[in-house]
Amino acid sequence: MNFLLSIDKNKLFIFITCLIVIIIIFFSYNFINNEKSFPILAELPTSKSDIVKPKFSISGQNSEIFITAKNGNFINEEKILLENNVKFKSKEFQLISDNVIFDRKNLIATSKNKSKFSSKNTSIISAGFDITDNGNIINFKGQTVLKIK
Amino acid sequence: MNVVKLIIFAGFLISYSLNGVSRGIGETEITTDDGIEVFQNEKYYLLKKNVIISSDDFKITSDNVKANFEIDLYDITSLETKGNSSINAIKYGINGKGDEILINIKSEEIKVIGKNSLLNLQDTKMSSDGSIKVNNLLGAFELKGANSNLKNDGLDIYGEYISGIFVEIDGKKQLKKLEVEDKNLLKIYTEDLEMSSQKAIYDDETNIFELFTKVKIVKGQEIISGEYGYFDTVKNSYKVKSDETSKVKVTIKNTNE
Repeated sequence: MNFLLSIDKNKLFIFITCLIVIIIIFFSYNFINNEKSFPILAELPTSKSDIVKPKFSISGQNSEIFITAKNGNFINEEKILLENNVKFKSKEFQLISDNVIFDRKNLIATSKNKSKFSSKNTSIISAGFDITDNGNIINFKGQTVLKIK
Repeated sequence: MNVVKLIIFAGFLISYSLNGVSRGIGETEITTDDGIEVFQNEKYYLLKKNVIISSDDFKITSDNVKANFEIDLYDITSLETKGNSSINAIKYGINGKGDEILINIKSEEIKVIGKNSLLNLQDTKMSSDGSIKVNNLLGAFELKGANSNLKNDGLDIYGEYISGIFVEIDGKKQLKKLEVEDKNLLKIYTEDLEMSSQKAIYDDETNIFELFTKVKIVKGQEIISGEYGYFDTVKNSYKVKSDETSKVKVTIKNTNE
């Protein structure tokens, strides 16, 4: 007698139904999990900056000043707002501040935030600064403390 | 007991935190109310509004200051203060005030400019409505302008132009040479003498004051006038001579009149 003919049809039906249910549950679970792990487009992490880690330079008469920051946003075609750990570095000095507006056309940098300047044996803390004349003139603004070792 | 410990600990913490923001030993601290403008190519910087410069050896205050440097900001060669300026250099026994003070650090020269200028060098007090200049290295001094006055060792000198040289003997500044000029008559006061003329010179080698043109020496009730005179500070004696055009004149004041 054929083996298949000897199987109880009712039991087979129940078995197949259970198998289908299990498969449906398995795929449904996987689908729900995938839905959760797959981020919605609106929730995707987007950078708020126009420029990430911007770099510029000002060519001075004696040396070049390199400008770096974590973020940069265009205010207009000429001006960029540099944010977070903005550094002006040359052979002679280093100037650190947050939120600096840099005018690419006129090579002018302006900050109204607390600024720390350091050069050989000298440190300056001020309430802001302007860098003009291709880096020749640095105008530390507001209450300022200069320490000379 | 615990409260005392707490107070001591709090005091220690406060002093420690204050040390963190105050000037360290050997440091020069400059504070301004309206910033600092650095001109890197021209090698100077402008300190703006209510400037205080303090170090171990001196303190300078002024409305505005220009600092010239040689290599970098720390390497100051001279300072030019403008407006309500004062200097107090305890180490050198110098203090003064005026509208402007010019300090040349290399040549150790200080110049105070403006009305009511004052410069004290140990026990010597100098004042003028013009300028007072002292070179600490050379020991030279010069006062120019109206109401110039120098007070030193019982001498009180007034003139439009006073210059001379100090020497330091046992740590004390003493007059070595002196020249005084005033078209409107200079005045020199000693303990018991009053002298006036258009020009006077003093040399500590001779201990003699020489007086030239329109000379007048007043001692007590006696007034002697002529065209040349001298006063010996050691012998406490004096003499007045005339020239070809005038005669020596002696006047005795009558106090009973």
